[in-house]
Amino acid sequence: MGGGFRVLHLVRPFLSFLPEVQTADRKVPFREKVIYTVISLFIFLVCSQLPLYGIHSTTGADPFYWMRVILASNRGTVMELGITPIVTSGLVMQLLAGSKIIEVDNNVREDRALLNGAQKLLGILIAVGEAVAYVLSGMYGSVGQLGVGNAILIIIQLCFAGIIVICLDELLQKGYGLGSGISLFIATNICENIIWKAFSPTTINSGRGAEFEGAVIALFHLLITRTDKVRALREAFYRQNLPNVTNLLATVLIFLIVIYFQGFRVVLPVRSKNARGQQGSYPIKLFYTSNMPIILQSALVSNLYFISQLLHRKYSGNFFVDLLGKWKESEYGGGQSVPVGGIAYYITAPSSLADMAANPFHALFYLVFMLSACALFSKTWIEVSGSSAKDVAKQLKEQQMVMPGHRESNLQKELNRYIPTAAAFGGICIGALTVLADFMGAIGSGTGILLAVTIIYQYFETFEKERASELGFFGF
Amino acid sequence: MDAIDSVFDPLREFAKDSVRLVKRCHKPDRKEFSKVAVRTAIGFVVMGFVGFFVKIIFIPINNIIVGSG
Repeated sequence: MGGGFRVLHLVRPFLSFLPEVQTADRKVPFREKVIYTVISLFIFLVCSQLPLYGIHSTTGADPFYWMRVILASNRGTVMELGITPIVTSGLVMQLLAGSKIIEVDNNVREDRALLNGAQKLLGILIAVGEAVAYVLSGMYGSVGQLGVGNAILIIIQLCFAGIIVICLDELLQKGYGLGSGISLFIATNICENIIWKAFSPTTINSGRGAEFEGAVIALFHLLITRTDKVRALREAFYRQNLPNVTNLLATVLIFLIVIYFQGFRVVLPVRSKNARGQQGSYPIKLFYTSNMPIILQSALVSNLYFISQLLHRKYSGNFFVDLLGKWKESEYGGGQSVPVGGIAYYITAPSSLADMAANPFHALFYLVFMLSACALFSKTWIEVSGSSAKDVAKQLKEQQMVMPGHRESNLQKELNRYIPTAAAFGGICIGALTVLADFMGAIGSGTGILLAVTIIYQYFETFEKERASELGFFGF
Repeated sequence: MDAIDSVFDPLREFAKDSVRLVKRCHKPDRKEFSKVAVRTAIGFVVMGFVGFFVKIIFIPINNIIVGSG
């Protein structure tokens, strides 16, 4: 106890320096919450489009290409770091608290304040660290080319944006908005990406002349301008290297499948010991840990990619480095590297059915890795996030809830029949859906679609609750 | 054989648990599914187009900014 408190108390001196959003001291009306949420979103979106001042170039391989959508990050802009600092610090603090490395008593107000302060401080430190790493690694041209002044300017811009994101998220979390900023930014980034791929007006010069990037725009453009309608249609549906209509249809299909599975839940009846037997229910969703397994799996894979590319660039030819991953420039330009050997290759989705047929072991390995990783992360997450059967039983007990037909001591046992299985099996389903989406060529990647749909679903649940409690005031 | 059993028994148990869980699950009916699908689709499109239009607006703005830089 003393040791834990001592660790957490290290944060106390910094609390006064950290930017803080005051907790809402009154009930914020629903309409105001919507306004705050929209304003936060616009601030984020604008930052995502503002170019960084002072950068020399953004050419060269982008080591973070694979995880930009997931982390709401846009290359060469003020929002280069995206939500990485806040997500990373959140995960770290969650793991530390959940695994009892840091003793936190959520019933003590000071502990909660210190924990929040620690998380914020860590987020800022991570933002600084990442900004410096970006500049020193030559992401924007070598430091020699940039000059010290510009290098410092870039670091300041990135840190400032990181702090803005932290404050926006805190604003929403503190009751001024709906849900969490992190989820909002991720979902919007993914939705924007998909809509952009469908309706983008930019043109790209390919071997067949200029073509529109957007799948829908290209469809109409081809139908209008080509004399051979059948070939135009086939091109619109199956063209390579640019978004096509088949990709769009696959995206819609995955969308519908995810929504269907979202509705699966085991409803356990619970009853209050007080309030004269008031009846209720405690739902355990099939997607018990929601999108958490896919976030963790993506983070793991992306970090492995980053490390592998870094090592490959410097120590190509070394046995262990090659075992981790071998890379080469993508044929399609854009400065992307693609894994062509080693572990990095085997945990990357095969790019096509032909690719699968050529290397069935790759496909099988990838499939097993995806399903296993998601299941394990999901099962682990319930332990560290305080949503295991034991934690739920404890919560229900504190709320004076019992399950009809079961003795109080059996509550945890009953929950244990469902929660671990829901977590693991739900994780596997998430992994399977991601694989399916990638194979079908859905826009935005399976990971992205899953994240966006689960986040929007949660938003509507929040929306319902807020509206229900506000109904008497505004009659929405 | 024992070695194989020790590997497959947990998997078999897990599969059994999973099947029981799915059977026990309340599943959405057509009406419920349609309602959620429509609402989520609306949310998806609204969010997507908000981002889309911000991006569209910023293309010329960025050209001006970067051009003068």
